[in-house]
Amino acid sequence: MKFESDVVIGMEVHVQLNTKTKLFCSCPTQGSEEPNSRCCPVCLGMPGSKPVLNKQALNYAIKLALSLGCEISPELIFSRKSYFYPDLAKNYQISQYEIPLGIKGKISIEGKDIGITRVHMEEDPAALVHPEGMAKSNYVLIDYNRSGNPLCEVVTEPDLTSPGQAREFMKNLISVLNYLKIFDIDTCIIKADANISIKEKDYTRVEIKNITGFKEIERALNYEIERQKREDVVLETRAWDAEAGITISMRKKETEEEYGYIIDPDLTVTTITDEMVEKIKVDMPELAREKALRFVESHKIRKEDAFVIAQQRELANLFEIAVKKVPAKLAVAWVRHELNRVLNYNKKSLEQVKLDEKEFIKLLELIDKKEVTENVAKKILEKLIEKTFDVEKYIDENKLRAVSNSDELEEICKKAIENSEKAVQDYKSGNEKALQFIVGQVMRETRGAASPQVVIEIIKKII
Amino acid sequence: MNILWGQKHFKMNLQELNQNYNCFNIIEELKEKEEGKLSGYQISVKDCICVKGMESTAGSAILKGYKPLFHATAVQKVLDEGCKIIGKTSQDEFGFGSFSMNVGIGYKQPLNPVDKQRVTGGSSGGSGCAVKLIEDKHVSLGESTGGSIVCPAAYCGIVGLCPTYGRVSRYGLLDYGNSLDKIGPMARTVEDCAKVLKIIAGYDPKDSTSLNEPVDDYESFLKKGVKGLKIGLVKESLDVDEEVKAEFMKTIESLKEKGAIVEQVSLPLTFKYGIEVYYIIALSEVSTNLSKYCGIRYGAEEKPEGSFNEYFAKVRSKNFGEEAKRRIMLGTFARMSGFRDAYYIKAAKVRTLIIQEYKKLFEHYDVLVTPTMPNVAPKTEDVKKLTPLQNYMMDVLTVGPNLAGLPHISVPIGDDLPVGFLVIGDHLQEGKIIQVADEV
Repeated sequence: MKFESDVVIGMEVHVQLNTKTKLFCSCPTQGSEEPNSRCCPVCLGMPGSKPVLNKQALNYAIKLALSLGCEISPELIFSRKSYFYPDLAKNYQISQYEIPLGIKGKISIEGKDIGITRVHMEEDPAALVHPEGMAKSNYVLIDYNRSGNPLCEVVTEPDLTSPGQAREFMKNLISVLNYLKIFDIDTCIIKADANISIKEKDYTRVEIKNITGFKEIERALNYEIERQKREDVVLETRAWDAEAGITISMRKKETEEEYGYIIDPDLTVTTITDEMVEKIKVDMPELAREKALRFVESHKIRKEDAFVIAQQRELANLFEIAVKKVPAKLAVAWVRHELNRVLNYNKKSLEQVKLDEKEFIKLLELIDKKEVTENVAKKILEKLIEKTFDVEKYIDENKLRAVSNSDELEEICKKAIENSEKAVQDYKSGNEKALQFIVGQVMRETRGAASPQVVIEIIKKII
Repeated sequence: MNILWGQKHFKMNLQELNQNYNCFNIIEELKEKEEGKLSGYQISVKDCICVKGMESTAGSAILKGYKPLFHATAVQKVLDEGCKIIGKTSQDEFGFGSFSMNVGIGYKQPLNPVDKQRVTGGSSGGSGCAVKLIEDKHVSLGESTGGSIVCPAAYCGIVGLCPTYGRVSRYGLLDYGNSLDKIGPMARTVEDCAKVLKIIAGYDPKDSTSLNEPVDDYESFLKKGVKGLKIGLVKESLDVDEEVKAEFMKTIESLKEKGAIVEQVSLPLTFKYGIEVYYIIALSEVSTNLSKYCGIRYGAEEKPEGSFNEYFAKVRSKNFGEEAKRRIMLGTFARMSGFRDAYYIKAAKVRTLIIQEYKKLFEHYDVLVTPTMPNVAPKTEDVKKLTPLQNYMMDVLTVGPNLAGLPHISVPIGDDLPVGFLVIGDHLQEGKIIQVADEV
């Protein structure tokens, strides 16, 4: 292949599907963290045990392949990928080889199509635990809880040209997974291996293994580019050490790895019929990109806002409900900015806080009708992400309703002016700041339920 | 225990018997139910089939001490019918042989009850030997990959039935060639084989390759006669030792007299490529299956020293027998990139052609017949002189039906040393082979 860009990156991403049970046995994928508490003869590779395919995992994998625009293979065939390693229960991994589930897909980032070479299913190996760290331990413990978890491997063409793009790719992929509800960001693992080469070193390819999360991708690749510029580059596999922020050589690749693939004779060929695929298609949700474009089209909001909102399924859902009740501009302001501000402050994601949609929308409606001021609403939102309560009742109980009746407000202002002789005089003699003292009194009296602008106007008028 | 041999009954306990014939790796009793279709029956189980809590090693030192956590489905099914399991029978290590001489390190070769200087056949040699010796209601669960049920049945002079691939669940079977392995009954009579097959056959959700098809009432095919049945005599199979051929032809004549229509048929492709295709596929598969035996979770272990590769190599070098090592190397070679297309992939394609060759014949014939083995049980001393390739060639008559996943049964014929008469049926036609075998 001929490359032109300064940097060439291809990715292999392993995604754990959030099925209830493992890929080839009925052990739970979640639950007790006690080592080796969620395993059986199948995922331990005990003699005589046999794998049986989890159909739910296949369903999820087809969803993923479809949403990446892949062609779906009419037959699902598993192969044995043989290599000796202590984390492999059978010293071979059940994976796919000649005929992957999906091929020839793409994902768009920043207006550019990144080719998806293949999407295939495989089982996760066990976890190796080095009690005193990888370098120091002279023994290793094996935890088979993870052994047999369902994984999808997504392989891209070497179409990415910067670490930033690699990060965007991962973000987009996670968004797709999230929309499909086949991945749980809190409990499932997403890991990437990246092949990276630079023009300066004649595109000599280095593989970086085991990068977790999209922020790490960018960090690891940025480091690796600098390293490649600095050092001699050889064909090799390196590991990303996130703590130290460096890549470490694992092994030189003089020859291609030899996996001696054979068809797994314990598993029969599963036919994937057109009906099956059509049925899954019907159930597929609208994905971020289409959604964003639709938001721009039908609600006339800014493209940038639309893409930010659409990328997160929960945010997009909230926006869609909000925009039915309040003007789009208000919905964008509160869904994209205010809600994110509060979440970021609390370092939480929307899924983690369990925000009550109904009450959130009610709050937006009250803002729209000017029944509460934005300041009051912000404070209510901060409380609402902690626990659910009746927003209207809360407002009434705490007398937070905006004082919109100007007679009443005028009455309060008059009282405040009467109580602030010195401030009135200061203001009259040219001290603009003195007015704030009077406004403050009104705000205190109304518990912030009055709009400061309105209050200032009234006070000026009276004085 | 009543032992019948040379028309003389005598009492002998299983331990004494085993000291003389080495037919058991483990002698241990297990019974889970009193009543059932097999109450009063004793069942011995080939060592490669898991019996919960009973050391199951497939005759290999690398699994020494391994006690399965679960019963094989076939074992559970016979236990549910009230039988008593009496132990695990000896075999070629992991099924790697036709004479039960390739036993694992530290294991003993079973001896032929007819003549202790002769081999029992393999790889279910211990089962063949035990069935011949134990007169009481006794059936053994054997296992065949390329002929391992019918070969010892022929050499020991008993009945061995290997069902259609997928008819009996492989769950709990220590794999040799997963696309070839079948569990089947070995007994003194066709009737007992039919009885036990009926019990162990059937769909098992724990084995993805098990067939979800109804199970026939095999016993209803007994005593039906062969009148009008069309039997294909495979002409390539007549290239065997004279004494075998003579006995075989005698049986053919008697079947004709009973009204069967016998015609010569030909399986040119099967006889030309069967052995090669069988060994490439079986060894490719087994070389991955045996990878799991590395001294980490069960079985043999060594002092943990050096890198994991050094440790695995040490455990495997020390505990696998010579033939196991040969088969791992051959199988690994056949699936290596660069050779894979020429061997493994090609063999899989030829296998499909072999299946088609059989299927064509079954459009016209009810069953096919051949001798089971090209000879009578050879002497151990003579087998020792054979090269590995000559060893593999002994399977020439049995690999065909095994590659094609066809049910087949060997029935003892011959007045002097036992000879096996092999009846092969179409997929799921176990009834028909039982019907013919019952008249042999």
